[in-house]
Amino acid sequence: MRDALQTQSKLRSAQATRAARKRRARLLLLLPALLVIGLFGLAPLSIALVYSFLEPGTYGGVEWVFSPDAYVQFLYERDIFDDTLVFNSAYLQIFGRSFGLAVITMIGTLIVGFPVAYFIAARPPEQRNFWLFAITLPFWTNLLIRTYSMLLIVRDEGFINLMLIKAGLISKPLEMLYTDGAVLAGLVYSYLPFMILPIYASLEKFDFSLLEAGHDLYATRFNVFRHIVIPLTRPGIVAGCALVLIPALGAYITPELLGGGKKLMIGNLIALQFGAGRNWPFGSAAALILMALVLIALLVSLRAGASKEGGND
Amino acid sequence: MIDVRHVTKRFGIGAPAVTALGDVSLVIPEGSFFTLLGPSGCGKTTLLRLIAGFELPSEGEIALDGDPIGHLAPHERPVNTVFQNYALFPHMSVARNIGFGLEMLKRPKSEISTTIEEMLDLVQLGAFASRRVDQLSGGQQQRVALARALAPRPKVLLLDEPLSALDLKLRKGMQSELKRLQHETGITFVFVTHDQGEALAMSDQIAVMSAGAVRQVGTPEQIYTKPQSRFVADFIGDTNIVKADLLGYEGDRALIHFGEGETLAVHAASLSLQPGPVHVAMRPETISILDEGAETALLRGSVIDSTYFGAGSQMRLRLDDGTEVIAQVEHPRAPGSRVGLRCDSAMLHVLED
Repeated sequence: MRDALQTQSKLRSAQATRAARKRRARLLLLLPALLVIGLFGLAPLSIALVYSFLEPGTYGGVEWVFSPDAYVQFLYERDIFDDTLVFNSAYLQIFGRSFGLAVITMIGTLIVGFPVAYFIAARPPEQRNFWLFAITLPFWTNLLIRTYSMLLIVRDEGFINLMLIKAGLISKPLEMLYTDGAVLAGLVYSYLPFMILPIYASLEKFDFSLLEAGHDLYATRFNVFRHIVIPLTRPGIVAGCALVLIPALGAYITPELLGGGKKLMIGNLIALQFGAGRNWPFGSAAALILMALVLIALLVSLRAGASKEGGND
Repeated sequence: MIDVRHVTKRFGIGAPAVTALGDVSLVIPEGSFFTLLGPSGCGKTTLLRLIAGFELPSEGEIALDGDPIGHLAPHERPVNTVFQNYALFPHMSVARNIGFGLEMLKRPKSEISTTIEEMLDLVQLGAFASRRVDQLSGGQQQRVALARALAPRPKVLLLDEPLSALDLKLRKGMQSELKRLQHETGITFVFVTHDQGEALAMSDQIAVMSAGAVRQVGTPEQIYTKPQSRFVADFIGDTNIVKADLLGYEGDRALIHFGEGETLAVHAASLSLQPGPVHVAMRPETISILDEGAETALLRGSVIDSTYFGAGSQMRLRLDDGTEVIAQVEHPRAPGSRVGLRCDSAMLHVLED
């Protein structure tokens, strides 16, 4: 009886040590990731949060005095003479323009990317890797260099204008560089793989016999696409849209080079505050406001995605 | 009525084109349970897909009630398919799956919901309307697939080996279920299978196919008892195929001789066979076993083994010319013993090669 009790308690303690060891192993395995996220993710974010509530130093940096000015400045302009606040929509406009451009970029990559993803998923399995390789090939070259080469193609003496003039279609070069169109084209080009890959991932699991079933049940090609393909690849579409929208919002290099920095985007605005603007608190505040907006947008889209799934619709 | 006229289907372009169907003509009567039977690769599924519209014929025409439909898109044909893997829409409920066809035909909502109810009753899934299809068992999914294809009341229902994914017990149940559904709806069923037992049990008519051609069309009884060719006899079941000499004809009977015993006048698949060596179908249950010395014996051989199966025993024998045959008998002989064989001449049948 005592023996039995003893073995039982031994067993229990052995189980306990094993569970503890498991917990420790798990923590150890997670440690590198936690370190990276903590050191290079959370710490800078916390610094930005703190800085956004301080006063700007004259030559950059911050003065350690609490002030909500950075956030006030986002919406209001302080009159130099009588210190009254006047509503100023300049920064809101920058945010609005950035959002608009990011949304159009997202729609553009979706329109271009979906057929590509579909094409790859419809290839025989042994051919798919080649196409995926081709999609990821641009990543082998730095974004900056790729953007510069786009600049060479769209500028006044660039490839497109040269060709059009030689063909006699136009007499003087089209102004394409430093326009919203050039920025948009650059953004669509840069972020296209982020749209294609998640959509491909969900199309890869797609059962193509469902298309035949749909056609068989009197659905036209459009209806098959609308009622069968789209709903079943929605997770991939949502993921692709998020993966494009978020980095497009904060894009810096492309608007700077292809847009000439003529019209400020959020990314350029933030960069400016830490550089020539010498207003670190305002830069931090703008970055945090952007993050909050992205988070809200993401939560809303996730909600929308979840409620559409599993319902009778 | 479906009229398949000289339909050829080739896959691939140029020299290595594969001919899946070669000049097939076939009439499928209205309101019948018609089975396309054959081994895999015989072209039965291709023929089904041509009728459904998933493939277009390389040559020839398919007519439904006299109207050519061979070149219409699938959604333009009053024909629905039950797919081998069911192909149910995983993001829709059972009810919406069933109503999908009518929804696409833009029928009024009230009509759609009444039809869904009817169909759920018909396949006995009334309680499952709002379930997701991935919550159903294989047999239930099968019935949803049937209901979905029947809901638009097509003129023809195509079934592509729909029972092959079910286990034996469910399969038996679904066989009679399908028969019942065909009876109740009066819709023409075209059923594809490689299982001859299934084909014999369910069909009004069977077309036996091989290598892209139709070998024989007939009722299950005709196919079973009067196979036209060696291929059909071999494929349809456990028929023995035995060599004999064709001596000539007497009226519509063929005169054959097995090397011993008397000359027999038997039924023949064709009256244009040349006298000489032929193959004769001999069903296992029509063979009687005699002593080796019996004068009435037509063939002689030795017993290989026998298997008891309840209603009798199945004996394997090797004839003196080396052919292996199977006989169903009540009292099996010991393995190795020499025996004589006789067969009811009314049940013999000369085959085309």
